[in-house]
Amino acid sequence: MWLIALKASWRQTLTLQIRYLFNFFTSIITMSIVFLLIFHGVKAVGAGALDLGGTLEGLFTGYIIWMIVLTGYQDLAYNAANEAQTGTLEQLYLSPVGYKWLAFFSGSFNALMSLAQISVITAVMVLTTGQKLHLDIFSILPVFFGVYIQAYGLGFILGGLALIFKRIQSFFQVVTFGVIGLFMIPWSKYPWAKYLPFTMGQHLLQEIMMEGMKFTQAPKGDLAVFAVATIAYFLAGLGVFSMAETKAKAMGLLGQY
Amino acid sequence: MPNPRLPEKHNYLEVQDLKKTFVDKKRTVEAIKSISFGIAKGEMVGLLGPNGAGKTTTIKSILGLIKPDSGIVKVDSIDCAANPREAAKRMAAVLEGARNTYWRLTVWENMQFFAGIHGVCAAENKEYFEYLLETLKLQDRRDTEVRNLSSGYKQKTAVACALAKKTPLVFLDEPTLGLDVESSYELRAALKRLQSEEQRTIVVSSHDMKVIQDVCSRVIIISNGRVVADDNIDDLLSLFRTRNYRIVVSKNAYMQHPELLMAELSQGFPQADINETPDTVEIAVEFTNPFEIYDLINTLSGFRVAIESITQEQVDLEKAFLEIVRREDGVCG
Repeated sequence: MWLIALKASWRQTLTLQIRYLFNFFTSIITMSIVFLLIFHGVKAVGAGALDLGGTLEGLFTGYIIWMIVLTGYQDLAYNAANEAQTGTLEQLYLSPVGYKWLAFFSGSFNALMSLAQISVITAVMVLTTGQKLHLDIFSILPVFFGVYIQAYGLGFILGGLALIFKRIQSFFQVVTFGVIGLFMIPWSKYPWAKYLPFTMGQHLLQEIMMEGMKFTQAPKGDLAVFAVATIAYFLAGLGVFSMAETKAKAMGLLGQY
Repeated sequence: MPNPRLPEKHNYLEVQDLKKTFVDKKRTVEAIKSISFGIAKGEMVGLLGPNGAGKTTTIKSILGLIKPDSGIVKVDSIDCAANPREAAKRMAAVLEGARNTYWRLTVWENMQFFAGIHGVCAAENKEYFEYLLETLKLQDRRDTEVRNLSSGYKQKTAVACALAKKTPLVFLDEPTLGLDVESSYELRAALKRLQSEEQRTIVVSSHDMKVIQDVCSRVIIISNGRVVADDNIDDLLSLFRTRNYRIVVSKNAYMQHPELLMAELSQGFPQADINETPDTVEIAVEFTNPFEIYDLINTLSGFRVAIESITQEQVDLEKAFLEIVRREDGVCG
C-alpha cells in the first residue's frame, strides 16, 4: 500500500508540475531578478546595509538558504491551505496512509524540483555576478536536505495553523520576510542565535560554498547543532500540526474554508 | 435502538450512540444528540434529514473527518477510533459541497491518484477502471481535465474516484446535488447497476427523495440529531398509506334533489371536503375504516348520480418524510 501511495503521489505531483510548468519557470526568473536587484542594491550602498553572513558574499548563501526555506515551508503550508480551499483536503484525509505521509511523499518530490530550481538560480547568480562558489555537491546536499527538513517543520506549523484559522496566507508572507531576520542576527553578539532554525545551515553553507570547506570537515559541535536543530524543528512542526489536526477534527474544520 | 421490523443481519457498519456538539465562542450546537444504526453488507441505504439534521456530521464522524464526543463506530467489526488506518482502508466517500477531485488532472489521472493513495494500483486495475468509466458514461471524457467538464461529469468523476478505491463501504453525500435531470438519472442507474453487480454497501445522503426512493431499499431519517425512522422504504410508506379518496360525480338528468344530496353528504360524512361546481360534485374524504367507502357509494347510488372517478391518494417518500419530521419537530419543539 505504501509504495503504491508513494508512486501515486509522485505521479500526481509531477503531472501537476507539468500542467503548471509556466509557474515553474516564472519562479526561476522572478527569484533570479530579485537576487540581482538585492545584489546590486547592496553593492551600491555597502554590505553593511543587509548583513547576511557579514559580507557581500554572505548574501549568496543567505539567499540560497532563504530559497530552500521558502520552497520547503511553502510547499506544505500553501498546499494545506489550498487543498482546504479547493475541497480536496478531506479526500486526502480519507486515505489510510494519512495526510502527513502524503504531504511527506509530495514534499520529497518537490524537494527534488526545488533542488533543480535553486541550482538553475544559483547558476544565474554565479554567471551574472562573477562570484566564485565552491560547488561540492556532496557537501552541499546534506545541508540542503537538512535545511529543507527544518523548513518542512515550519511548514507543518503554518499548515496546522491554516487548518484552524484558514485564510492566513498574508501571515505566511510575513514569515517569509521574518526568516531573513534570522540570518541577520550576529552570532558574536547573540551566541544563542546559532540554535535558531536555518541559521547553522546558512553558516555551514557559507563555509562550504565560500571557503571550500567539506561537510565532514565542519566542527563537530556545529554538525551536532545542525543535526539536532533539523530533527527538533521537524518534530516540533509535526507535533504542532498533529495538535492542530486534532483540534480541526474536533471543531469540524477540515472541510471548511 | 435497532428496528425490530428489520431482519437481523451482521452489520458491516455499526454506529452506536454517536454524539457531537460543536462549541465556539458565540454558540453551542448539538449537531448529533444520539445516533445509532447498523447497515448490513451489500445494503444500499438512504440517509435523509432536513438541513442541519446532522447527516453530514454523522457521515464525517464515521469517516474520521470529525471527532465525535462519544459513541462507537465499527466498520467490518473494526473500531474506527482505535484503528483508524484499518477502518479507512474499507471506506470511501464523495463529500457534499467539496470538489473531491483535482480540476487540473484528467478524469483518469484523478482515478489513478485517489485509488493509489488508497493502496489500489491503477496498472493492475485498468480493466475495472474502464468498467467504472463505462458504467458512469465517462469513457469519452477519460482524458479531459476535470475543470473542462460540466457539473454532471464532475460529480460522476468524483463518484468514479470514490468507487475506484474498491472499498466495501461507500458514502455518497448529496451525489445528485446540482445535476440536471438526465445526469441525475444516469448516476442513479449507474449506482443501481454497481450495487447489484458488486454488492457494495452504499450509504446515500440526499435531499432528493426521488433519488433515495429510486436507488435505496432502506431509509434512515435523521432529525434534530436523532434517528427518527429506520425502515425499509416499502414498510415506511405503508405506515403512511391513508384511506384518502377523491370522488367526482357528475350532475346529470337522472340526479334527483341535488340539495338533498349535499345535505345528506354533509350529515353522513362530516369529515368530507365537498366542492360543488355547475357540472360536478367533488368529494375528498378520509375514511377511518375500509368499509366506509361502501356507505358513501350507497348514498350516491340512492341519488342516482353518475360516478366519474374514484382515486386513492398515493403516499410517496417525500410525504412520509415530511410527516415524520413534522411530528418530530412537534415533539421537540
